[in-house]
Amino acid sequence: MHGFTYDEIHDEFTVPQQFAQAILTFAGGAEGETPPLRVIQGSNTRLEAPDRVAVDAVNNEIYVPEGDRVLVFDRMGNGNVAPKRVLEGPDAGRGLDAVAIDPINNFLIVAAGGGGGERDRSGTRFLVFDRTANGNVKPKWIVQGPRAMGGPFAIYPQRKLILATNRPVGEGLAGDDSYLGVWSYEKSSDGPPLWTIGGPNGIFQMPRGVALDVKNKSIIASDKRLNSVLTFRVPELF
Amino acid sequence: MAHVVRPWRISRPLRLFVLIALLGTAIQGGTPQTKTIGSERLVSVEPLSEEAGEICEPVPPSREEMLLAAMQQRQDARDASKATRSAATQDRSKLKPIRWIRDPYAAYSSVAVDPINNEVVLTDENLFQILVYNRTANTPPSARLTEPKRIIAGLNTKIEFQCGLYIDPKTGNIYAVNNDTVDTLVIFDRNAKGDVPPTRELYTPHGTFGIAVDEAAEEMFLTLQHDSAMVVFRKYADKDESPLRLLQGDATGLADPHGIALDSRNGWVFITNHGAVSSRSPRPDARASRRGAQKQNWPLERAQTVPGSGRSLPPSIIVHSMKAQGNVPPLRVIQGPKTQFNWPTGLAIDEQRGELYVANDIENSILVFNVTDSGDVAPKRVIKGPKTNLANPTGVWVDLKNNEVWTANFMNHSATVYPLNASGDVAPLRIIRSGPLNEPSLGIGNPHPVAYDSKREQILVPN
Repeated sequence: MHGFTYDEIHDEFTVPQQFAQAILTFAGGAEGETPPLRVIQGSNTRLEAPDRVAVDAVNNEIYVPEGDRVLVFDRMGNGNVAPKRVLEGPDAGRGLDAVAIDPINNFLIVAAGGGGGERDRSGTRFLVFDRTANGNVKPKWIVQGPRAMGGPFAIYPQRKLILATNRPVGEGLAGDDSYLGVWSYEKSSDGPPLWTIGGPNGIFQMPRGVALDVKNKSIIASDKRLNSVLTFRVPELF
Repeated sequence: MAHVVRPWRISRPLRLFVLIALLGTAIQGGTPQTKTIGSERLVSVEPLSEEAGEICEPVPPSREEMLLAAMQQRQDARDASKATRSAATQDRSKLKPIRWIRDPYAAYSSVAVDPINNEVVLTDENLFQILVYNRTANTPPSARLTEPKRIIAGLNTKIEFQCGLYIDPKTGNIYAVNNDTVDTLVIFDRNAKGDVPPTRELYTPHGTFGIAVDEAAEEMFLTLQHDSAMVVFRKYADKDESPLRLLQGDATGLADPHGIALDSRNGWVFITNHGAVSSRSPRPDARASRRGAQKQNWPLERAQTVPGSGRSLPPSIIVHSMKAQGNVPPLRVIQGPKTQFNWPTGLAIDEQRGELYVANDIENSILVFNVTDSGDVAPKRVIKGPKTNLANPTGVWVDLKNNEVWTANFMNHSATVYPLNASGDVAPLRIIRSGPLNEPSLGIGNPHPVAYDSKREQILVPN
């Protein structure tokens, strides 16, 4: 499972099931062997190998990056439903790995060209689109700093910040050059992060996912090599 | 000399702030912080007290002095620019986490017995280790854990999230399967220990899980989760060697396969399936993986997925001929509510008695079937209950020399041993623990995304 999102407005969480080409939504308090509330799966969905997912709880939409396209479903979609919008085409980009929605500033932010597996870890960039972008649309701007982003990322719309974990460059299983970085998505840029947290030469070995606990002004991140989850308190970031 | 009266002067705090602003950094409480400088420019203004007496009007500088000053200003500007650039990244590289969720003890995922050397080998999916113990080791309730005889671990070993294990009955060499993050089967000499490179490596398709070896034919079978496939290599295959055979396709019944076991007497291969699957079809636009390029019998990978073909099937055990290849249907399928399957994972065969052992992960049970069973059948024996100490068993091994069945329990830091005829709620003959009694396992295995449930103030960690 490479994607996961909690929707605090509707108290639900949503996960992709890559092998079965499905998007599952559960009640927030689900525990044990509980069936999902809704399942998006079937021939109309265009789902291929859904790995990551984002939910826009304000505008009631589910976003699924699928490499060369981003599929957008109605949040309440259930069964064999078609996407309501598809961002795809040469102008939109390729290798679309992970997404985040900024409902405050109406942006769709897509991580492209990075991720894991055999893809080039050195080429990650963030493409910033209008939230409702559809079809073959160019990004409004591109943030190119995070060159080795390695997992689903988080955003903090209040300050237009991207928080992404950066894997070691190269094919190693771990590396001291790992870190959690923070970039601005206010405009196009290509530079170092505004912040580096937990590395380089820090605690991270192979960081992956990141989430925010805004109330407690904390950042939560997973690390594959440490096989663990770490929480950093960074009040000045919020 | 003219008299100049200054109406006010910049206070010391404001001058300090302007200096910091030039450097692009602010200091708060001794710790560098990122700041939006423009919004905090006006801190305080104090009127300049009247200077007593006169001050000198400056004399205009000469051309040389002006040039030198200009050059110095440019140098200062360059230095300031450098300082600004280097200060642009706020360095929290050494920041320590306020909380760190991790399990300090091994979480056993698969098990195999070396009856010749009287040792048991366990893989640890938490700390990425292979642990070797005396077969008869038994951790007393009062002990914190049992120390292994040998540990293989470290970055040189290429061990990560291991889930399948095989011991060469002739040499005692250890075949250990990496799942998901390392597409390499690693083979170690039986005496290997420490952070040593594998004796042999085989570059596999992605998502290997189970392993079984046909010693007579010297063939090695591997299941592939991600591609819902099974590949057969030469037992001694090395590096970039191609598989000998491939089993993959909608007819095969493979659906997120996990454990695998061989019944060489009957020529059957048994495979557990969790049930999630999609169809594959060759696509001209699909890019082959680096590993798969130019290889024979390589599975159709993720790029050849048929969109919208995904299915969520009930869990099953499928039975194929050991020589099966291509997209052929299974000889038999064990599937249905009577089977009690709930994430059936590890498999082992007792060829002498014709019995199939299943590590039934979510039900905390070991199920025993006849190797000839088919359809929706109940297991002939079930090891399950509070006395068994079973906790999410993922690995199972039958030791025919000592008439014992072993399980690797992922969720309670233990491996447990039962007599081969055990049934019901039975206490294990022995337990090997990697951590203190009643110390809960965290169950973290390959965490990728994380989410925060702000309503319950909980961290959600899918694996």
